[in-house]
Amino acid sequence: MKFWGVRLASILGAVAFCFLLEAVAQGQSSFVQRLFVLAGLYVTLAVSLNLINGITGQFSIGHAAFYQVGAYTAGFCASRFFAQMNLPPAAWLLLMMVTSAITAGLAGLLVGLPSLRLKGDYLAIVTLGFGEIIRIFAQNQEALGGAYGLTVAPKIQYVWAAWLLAILCIAVCRNLLRSAHGLPFLAVREDEIASSAMGVNVTQTKVVAFVLGSMFAGAAGAILAHFESFVSPPMFTMDVSFTIVTMVVLGGTGSITGSVLAAILLFYLPEKMRDFTNIPLAGVAAAFVAISAAVFAIRWVMQNFHGSTKDRAIRYLGILVGAVVIWFLSKALLGNVPSLKENIDGSKLRMVVFSVTLVVLMLLRPQGMLGHHEFSWDWVRSKFGKPTVKEATA
Amino acid sequence: MNIQFSWKHGLIALAVAAAIGCNGGDSSATTPTVENKGTEAAPAAGARKAPTAEGNKVDGDVIKIGIVGSLTGDQKPWGEDSIEGGKMAVEEFNAAGGINGKKVELITGDSNSKAEGAKTAAEKLISDGVVGIVGEVASGHTIQIAKSAFDKGVPVVAIGATKTDLTNEGTHVSRVCYIDDFQGPVMAKFAYEELGLRKVALMTDNKQPYSQYLSKTFGDKFKALGGSIVKEAFYESGQTQFSGQITELKAENPDGLFLSGYFTEVGPIAQQVRQAGLKDVKLMGGDGWDSPQLLTSGGDAILGSYFCNHYNNKEDRPIVKSFLEAYKKSHGGKEPGTTMAALGYDATKLMLDALKRAKSLDSKSLIEAINETEKFAGVSGDITLKGFNGNPPKRALVVEVRPQSEGFQVFRKAYEADEIK
Amino acid sequence: MTVFPHLLAGLELSTLPQQLVNGILLGAIYALIALGYTMVYGVLKLINFAHGEVFMLGAYTALFTSWSFGFTEVGNKQDSSPGILILMLIVSMTVCGVVGVLIERFAYRPMRSQPRIASLITAIGISLLLQYGGQLFLPSSPPPSISDKVNPFKGNIEIPLKPADSALLAQAEQLKAKVTSTKAAYDEQLKSEKDSFNLSPVGKELRTASQDAERDYRNAIDKANKDALVITLPQGQVIMLVTTVILMVILTWLVMRTTAGRAMRAASLDFDAASLMGINVNTVIAFTFFIGSALAGAGAMMNASFLGGTKIDTFFGMLPGVKAFVAAVLGGIGNIPGAVLGGILMGLAETMVIWAGYGNYKDAIAFIVLIVVLLVKPGGLLGSNKVEKV
Repeated sequence: MKFWGVRLASILGAVAFCFLLEAVAQGQSSFVQRLFVLAGLYVTLAVSLNLINGITGQFSIGHAAFYQVGAYTAGFCASRFFAQMNLPPAAWLLLMMVTSAITAGLAGLLVGLPSLRLKGDYLAIVTLGFGEIIRIFAQNQEALGGAYGLTVAPKIQYVWAAWLLAILCIAVCRNLLRSAHGLPFLAVREDEIASSAMGVNVTQTKVVAFVLGSMFAGAAGAILAHFESFVSPPMFTMDVSFTIVTMVVLGGTGSITGSVLAAILLFYLPEKMRDFTNIPLAGVAAAFVAISAAVFAIRWVMQNFHGSTKDRAIRYLGILVGAVVIWFLSKALLGNVPSLKENIDGSKLRMVVFSVTLVVLMLLRPQGMLGHHEFSWDWVRSKFGKPTVKEATA
Repeated sequence: MNIQFSWKHGLIALAVAAAIGCNGGDSSATTPTVENKGTEAAPAAGARKAPTAEGNKVDGDVIKIGIVGSLTGDQKPWGEDSIEGGKMAVEEFNAAGGINGKKVELITGDSNSKAEGAKTAAEKLISDGVVGIVGEVASGHTIQIAKSAFDKGVPVVAIGATKTDLTNEGTHVSRVCYIDDFQGPVMAKFAYEELGLRKVALMTDNKQPYSQYLSKTFGDKFKALGGSIVKEAFYESGQTQFSGQITELKAENPDGLFLSGYFTEVGPIAQQVRQAGLKDVKLMGGDGWDSPQLLTSGGDAILGSYFCNHYNNKEDRPIVKSFLEAYKKSHGGKEPGTTMAALGYDATKLMLDALKRAKSLDSKSLIEAINETEKFAGVSGDITLKGFNGNPPKRALVVEVRPQSEGFQVFRKAYEADEIK
Repeated sequence: MTVFPHLLAGLELSTLPQQLVNGILLGAIYALIALGYTMVYGVLKLINFAHGEVFMLGAYTALFTSWSFGFTEVGNKQDSSPGILILMLIVSMTVCGVVGVLIERFAYRPMRSQPRIASLITAIGISLLLQYGGQLFLPSSPPPSISDKVNPFKGNIEIPLKPADSALLAQAEQLKAKVTSTKAAYDEQLKSEKDSFNLSPVGKELRTASQDAERDYRNAIDKANKDALVITLPQGQVIMLVTTVILMVILTWLVMRTTAGRAMRAASLDFDAASLMGINVNTVIAFTFFIGSALAGAGAMMNASFLGGTKIDTFFGMLPGVKAFVAAVLGGIGNIPGAVLGGILMGLAETMVIWAGYGNYKDAIAFIVLIVVLLVKPGGLLGSNKVEKV
């Protein structure tokens, strides 16, 4: 119990962080507030999917389904019961988060059960299919607003709620991994047969992972529904599921810190593109050429040179300069092509930037940004030359 | 080490912290994070809420106006056309001197063919300081824009959003097009009275709220007139083969087929309907058909069909001609692909016109000025908003699809707003 | 609206045969795309998410080829010939094949030694890149479509199963005289009217008479045809089905009977062992991608030109791609006849749902069928259900 202090500080720090974000967001436009909340929700979604995909190794690509179940649960309950219950908004939101977590958890159970029989890609397609079924069901139910969607009242826009959920999700996953309860999850990921031989209840572990992951996604859905005060089927298409999977893999499968960082990066990058206007199309095409060249040059250096860090740094710098030169040259060249002579808005490039980032990062760092590594206080302490927990308790 | 023990504690502490956090959030009622307590019942027409927020003000020499459209995704054709129209209106306005030397800057936002995208784009525009927003083409998107704009007190002039209850969102919303409660019945009346149809089948795009509602308004009116709706078949935009639905429709032997979806699917449906042997069945639709692309996608099969539209490039009014000339000049001789260019132009111009009449250059006065609009001369006809709760009474034209050499949309019959109840 | 609008009582038996045929024809296209998924999976164990986008590029290639033959202008009266169609097919197949090989070379090969999920994410990335990057460079506003003049096979093959009631038909024919006479009277009147939609009272009366006569005639014909049963097969779609079956036979022969096929099967079992046996695994994989993508190209070309007017945009491959993927899994991914069977079952499931009156759930049903099948047979219908060895 020596490090209770650090732990308490972490918790208080986390809570303080949420309310700091709330305070920062208050002064901002609703656009920025929205980014804050959505970033928090994406962190929750990525980390909770990481529990299923990265930690337990069950390949799910339909996480948006649970997000949708949660959002529609909240939306539906709000339209029926909010007026009668007369709760303060914060309490109502909390209640809805719990309710949505339960319904999404039940949905997770429904999908988790077939996962007992299915593996890998087969499971993936089932989760994907489940997402589509849910979306089409909502689209055809008038009680759920049909294709048009469901208006959710009241509108509750708490930035802290989204981030508190995110931190709760991170805390649960992190602590699970560091406890004896978490070991079965990792064991199932590494080898199902071996772990069942060691007495791990594989079935239970998989289902628990599914249910837990879905519950967080459901709670995130409740926040989304109340924040947007609107839910509709196109908000939960396959693209959303793919984005979440991408966040998990890009961050490093199994790394919670990685999921968080990737969620923020992948959410921020496309949004940032909205700020740019009048980008010459030839420049975009040239950038594509330059990036491709640079990626293959870097891969070549990575595979063929194993010299000192300095040597490699010089080579990378050379590649960078080369890429810029290629960009200028090809821009000048492509500028003559008539069909590339127009200018486009950055918002058209949002998904292009997203996909290029994805492919480039995968080609250069397939294990994800952080691999299996995690951020921890130990790591910080070791940077300051202090003993780690292990060393201290040894 | 009792790690297990401590993580449970950690969770409990977090839960407690969350609970405290909730109370904190509740007691700090001064922060306006909760906009509406209680359910938002849609107010009856005539009792629209006025936004309470102050809205944006013009400071400096540039008047910022926002326009939202889909620059990416399925609805790109309409998004681009409407924004082109908007840009033209602003250029003309600036060329004519702006307001007291102040020029207008039109900022575009991409809704990415998604309701969520429209909302994000609108919020971004509002935070950029626009005094008003023009857009969108699709009703589902516009309603999101309207909701965001309500919270900030910024006016919205919708371009082609025909969903009837859209303007119930508040006094800040108005539009320049007719509503679905008008468009569907117009086609029903035309089908029953002019084409002499009695048995009509519907084909609805289940992914588009527009299509779902249009099918409903058409069906209701057609039944009220004494006809019968023999079958409704569903498809989703993006589908390419419709033989299953067509077989079911064919079994009912309809005289006519109402295709309430967008032209991208209507063309192939028409071709497949004809191939399946329904040679004489009349095809009809709404303003979603409006694109010259319909002729390529529909081929010979679509010729002789009828649809409802806002205006017609071949109309004889001088304003239509001058608009087309100006459009062709700035677009290398190309005519606008869809009516959304003209409606985007009208919507933007209406907002600029209101801005001129507004008492001061801020959102609040702009809302008032927009709602005072009377007999604004638009390309799509005169627009009066005063006393109409944001839904201007407009004409609807029924046009026949003819080959390009005959001018694609040939005007057949006009219905005035008061002809349909 | 309730969940289920009507119970099974409302089923129309007369349309069932036609719907079964529709389902098989629809399934042909899914099968063609599914073949590509299944081949790549068989060798690489990779779900090639970009396959749908290769399909999309195939449609664009077909479009550009048709444009190069002058089928651009609206109302173009040129007639096409089967030769042009075959050329379009070859060009589409070649271009798609090359694109597939390029994607494999530059995106998937570097990932081969990495965990499968990494290659999967790369595949998703390539898919999104082609969808959204394509929007910048390919015509998609408004979405173009191949002119209906390209397809010379617009007719139907009709198989009459049960004739119309000849007595009623004869009765109906008697009504025809009235149709002609009223129409003539109305046409005569039209000459003195200035606009057919703003008629004088006399004109209106004549028009109503003409419309009524026509309606009576049509109703009589319908009555005579009530028990008749004719199955209509659109020629273009029959060609699609036949092509699919031929390609499947060729493929099976290729994989099972040729040296290249043996190399493919060897590589799918074990890369390292195969390369030790002197098989160039890279060539085998490139070849697999070429064939798989070329099939998608063939499917895209036929889909875009035989189903006249189909809109082509950069999302063209998404929906068929997902459905074909489901079809491949349904049949047992990695299994060639399985892909065709899965495709056809998907097509049938879809039309059967429409037939049963739940058309608005048809995209969901594909997945429901899939889940049910996988729960019973986890390896798919024809897939091998491998027992994992320790």
